[in-house]
Amino acid sequence: MAKPVHADQRYLIALINNDAGLINEIYQKCAGKVKSFVVFNNGTTNDAEDIFQEALVDIYNQAKFKDLQLTCPFEPFLLLVCKRKWLNALKKKSVLQVTNSEDDLLLIGEDTFEQAEQLEEQAAQADLFLRAFEKLGGRCKEIIKWSMQGDAQEKVAEALGVTYGYLRKKKSECMASLVKLIHLKDRNND
Amino acid sequence: MTEDKILWVARYVEGDMDDAEVADFESRLADDAELQQNLSNYKDIHQSLKMKLSDNEELEHTLKGLNKQYFGEETKVVSFKPTIKWLGAVAAVLVIGLFIWAPWNNSLYNTYNDHSDMLVTERGATEAGDLVNAAALYNAKNYAAAKAMLQKLYAKQKTNAMIGYYYGLSLLKTNEVEQSREVLTPIYDGESVFKYDAAYAIALGYLKENNKADCKAWLTKIPEGTTRYQQAQDLLGEL
Repeated sequence: MAKPVHADQRYLIALINNDAGLINEIYQKCAGKVKSFVVFNNGTTNDAEDIFQEALVDIYNQAKFKDLQLTCPFEPFLLLVCKRKWLNALKKKSVLQVTNSEDDLLLIGEDTFEQAEQLEEQAAQADLFLRAFEKLGGRCKEIIKWSMQGDAQEKVAEALGVTYGYLRKKKSECMASLVKLIHLKDRNND
Repeated sequence: MTEDKILWVARYVEGDMDDAEVADFESRLADDAELQQNLSNYKDIHQSLKMKLSDNEELEHTLKGLNKQYFGEETKVVSFKPTIKWLGAVAAVLVIGLFIWAPWNNSLYNTYNDHSDMLVTERGATEAGDLVNAAALYNAKNYAAAKAMLQKLYAKQKTNAMIGYYYGLSLLKTNEVEQSREVLTPIYDGESVFKYDAAYAIALGYLKENNKADCKAWLTKIPEGTTRYQQAQDLLGEL
């Protein structure tokens, strides 16, 4: 089960640590390719820029909060994530004509596909959870949002003008409501 | 029961339990598959939401900077009208900036800049290799790389006027003017063949900083009959 982590995990760590040197290397290697792909497929340079940034932020999120371990090389992974993102964007715009790029996709390992797919699923799931979160009451939203800023929870309590004990109690209640909301949705979808 | 478990898990994860409750929870967790599932769901939802809610300003700042660099060629087309009212202000800033920046002085610097190559004569010591490499980098105008190598050589032999002189020049050419003065001044104070070359380089440093008075003062230190004399006089004339 446990596949060895690829050496390119360092790029994920660079994103987490905001290591501009290594992030620059990512741009050097991949930005041009993503630009060509998007521009070649009915997009603009600005579209490419947005897609590229979104992909990097998604990867950063997964690495930071979900402990994403890269088992494939970084470059094809990022390129695939960007391609999928752009194809999805085109689908939404219902522009059907997309230059088929299966030739170069054949060169990509199974791991890369799997990881790109997981990333996409996780990102979509996070969107879904966010929508459920938006349905919570104002105070709950405030408490959850503040407690997730990464600061010490004692400080968060102080900023919200409540005791630390109250914050923990309220947060567990709010989070429980959120989990229930999400479960309810799942059941309705089935 | 399921709903109670959800709240129970939340209280456990968020630390809203006393020690007895934690112990109770953990003993139940060991063999309650549903509870285990609830716990892992909870963590999943918590972390997913954190992706959306926590701020990643620092990373986005880095990405925006790089975006400009790598996706910037195609300038974003904005409508012209809102731009035009700024044009006057931009023009004014440019004009003022131009006076402060004074590129004509810079071009004076470029005209009188020292383009000569660093010549290294054969030396037996092992250090010769580094010196030859440094000279090659210097002559290829890769002053940043040459500087790094010369810095090491200079640290080992501070009295070697040639190494000092070219180290000083590399500093000057990579805009570390003050440091270049620190290296070049002792060479001028010494009695090597680089004495007046050092004076000329220091003058160029002041020119780079647009400090004409000190530039002139250093140029006048170069006496007639030395190799730099004519260049120094020409530059004095221009100033």
